[in-house]
Amino acid sequence: MTKGPLALPVRLRRALYGALWAAPMPAWQLVFFAAPFALLTALSFWSVRNFRLVPDVSTAAWDWLLTTDYVRDTLLRTLAYAGGAAVLVTLLAFPAALAIAFVLRPRARAAVLALLVVPFFTSYLVRVYSWQTFLADNGIVNAVLRPLGLEVAGMLNSPFAMMVGYATLCLPLVVILQSMSLLAIDRTLIHAAHNLRCGPLRTVGAVIVPAARPGIVVGAVFAFILCFGDFVTPLYLGGGKHPTLAILIADTVKAGQQWPRAAVVALVMMAVLLTTALAALSFAYRRRGS
Amino acid sequence: MDTKPLVELDGVSKRYGAVAAVDGLDLTIDAGEFVAIMGPSGCGKTTTIKMLAGLETPSAGEIRLAGRRVNDLPVWERDTPLVWQSLALFPFLTVLENVEFGLRMRGVDRTGRRRRALSWLDRLGLAEFAGRNVADLSGGQRQRVALARSLVTEPPVLLLDEPLSALDAHLSVRMQAELKRLQREIGITFVYITHSHSEAFTMADRVVIMNKGRVEQIGAPKDIFLRPASRFVARFLGGNNLFAGRVARMERDGAVVTTADGSFRVARAAAAGVRVGDAVDLNVRSDRISLTQQTGWSGNEVHCRLVSEEFVGALVNLHLETAAGTEIVAQLQQRDLEMLDLSPGTGFVASWHPEDGHLIVPEAPQPLALAAE
Repeated sequence: MTKGPLALPVRLRRALYGALWAAPMPAWQLVFFAAPFALLTALSFWSVRNFRLVPDVSTAAWDWLLTTDYVRDTLLRTLAYAGGAAVLVTLLAFPAALAIAFVLRPRARAAVLALLVVPFFTSYLVRVYSWQTFLADNGIVNAVLRPLGLEVAGMLNSPFAMMVGYATLCLPLVVILQSMSLLAIDRTLIHAAHNLRCGPLRTVGAVIVPAARPGIVVGAVFAFILCFGDFVTPLYLGGGKHPTLAILIADTVKAGQQWPRAAVVALVMMAVLLTTALAALSFAYRRRGS
Repeated sequence: MDTKPLVELDGVSKRYGAVAAVDGLDLTIDAGEFVAIMGPSGCGKTTTIKMLAGLETPSAGEIRLAGRRVNDLPVWERDTPLVWQSLALFPFLTVLENVEFGLRMRGVDRTGRRRRALSWLDRLGLAEFAGRNVADLSGGQRQRVALARSLVTEPPVLLLDEPLSALDAHLSVRMQAELKRLQREIGITFVYITHSHSEAFTMADRVVIMNKGRVEQIGAPKDIFLRPASRFVARFLGGNNLFAGRVARMERDGAVVTTADGSFRVARAAAAGVRVGDAVDLNVRSDRISLTQQTGWSGNEVHCRLVSEEFVGALVNLHLETAAGTEIVAQLQQRDLEMLDLSPGTGFVASWHPEDGHLIVPEAPQPLALAAE
């Protein structure tokens, strides 16, 4: 091969080749994350006059955030719901994951894991709507309970209904994540624990949970992130009586075009999620010993 | 030290479907003994140790620990810690916490278990690593942590499943000496699984050689080395030359065995218990074979040609072939070769003393061959 004037040194050609393959990801991040993020930050300092956005350097939206009680209450409520849902879903998922990883035979395990993907075939919105027909005062659950004299009123539009909605959103995913991390445990560690007089039940706490900690924490973080930003469950199962930050954003935009306030809430949500995720991951991968 | 049997395997078998991984194993191990179970892959040695630990349940037979039947005792209720081939240290615990694990499971209080774990770490030269993560230790150090974790509860018997196989050769040799010394000091029975001759022969008081789920030979390392009981053992240990033949006649000072390569004399001690007509394998260790380039010596002699030469440090293995096609290996000192012409195809006379021959009597007699004679 002749060397043309455009021939580049091998090392440079390799670097360019690598850069070409790596390019889509940073490009995507730039266009769909960094740019909107910059826009959102700028927007949070704009002002609204006569229901119209005006570019500005105003701290009005940030003042509103820091001084308005219901904003703070909503943030705390959202944290409590998302945190509660993450804990609840993690606890509900664990026995299922344990059974999938350690009780089922390989073929049954593959079938169950495949079934866990099926819920994602239906829209989450549709699944939440169908919970309304189950949980309403005259819904399916009470229709079954009424003859037994166990009728429960006010299930819908309650924190209970919201937990049901959050579980609908993320339980299958968390079961899958936990199962994968339990399956990745070296079985010899479990046998070694038994060999050192650690009975089966005790092995769960002494070996299985610590060995699978990264997967369990990552599952909980996913649940927290999904529930923290969710709009559907608080609206359709919480009935708007328990607004979360996602609802707050929608409301501020609808009521008077308060885009800067919505931007401020969105930025706070991002900050909370990033902090929580990083803290949780550093806990998940924390190493013992110096 | 009392010498009543500590571990007894009584006709123990383990079948997986139609395949018997262990087939009618009888073995008695005394307290304080160091027993190595050795054999090729799939010989049943790992299944045997797993049955002792309770990780596998025998299909037949009885396992007794200190006189008590343990066949149906779950793993976590036995007192038979195992040092795993992969070590199986808990990565989420520190070195000290790993060693404490067994004591914690027995409900030993915090100060008690810390003291005992630290004293074992100290004994194995690991005291300064107590607070470390196990992943930061070298292979040899992790090996010692695994030992300390199993020994901290001072069990009557320690099971070891090829614990040195992950170490490099140099470190393995050092650990062999350490293990043997440790076992003598603490007097705990060691049952040691290995496929390595050097590990078994260096450390064990008794060696069990297994093949296809059955015991081929049990004995002191020296006895097995000098007098392999079967063709399999002779081949498995290596360095043995086998001549299949038949006892032709008994003489006052021994016997004469006829083989395809000629008739050879064996001393009386080796010929004890055989009768004229018995099918036997004459076995001569490769280091007992002398090579000359002329006949005339009065011992057992066979003509052969040099095939190849294998350099093993101070020693050299010469691979030869007789006219009848029998392969012979002669192990010589490097300096003995200086007098010999070593071009391939060179003719030699291989010879050995009648005292160096050893007879292996096949277990099952061969009536067909007898009829043909």
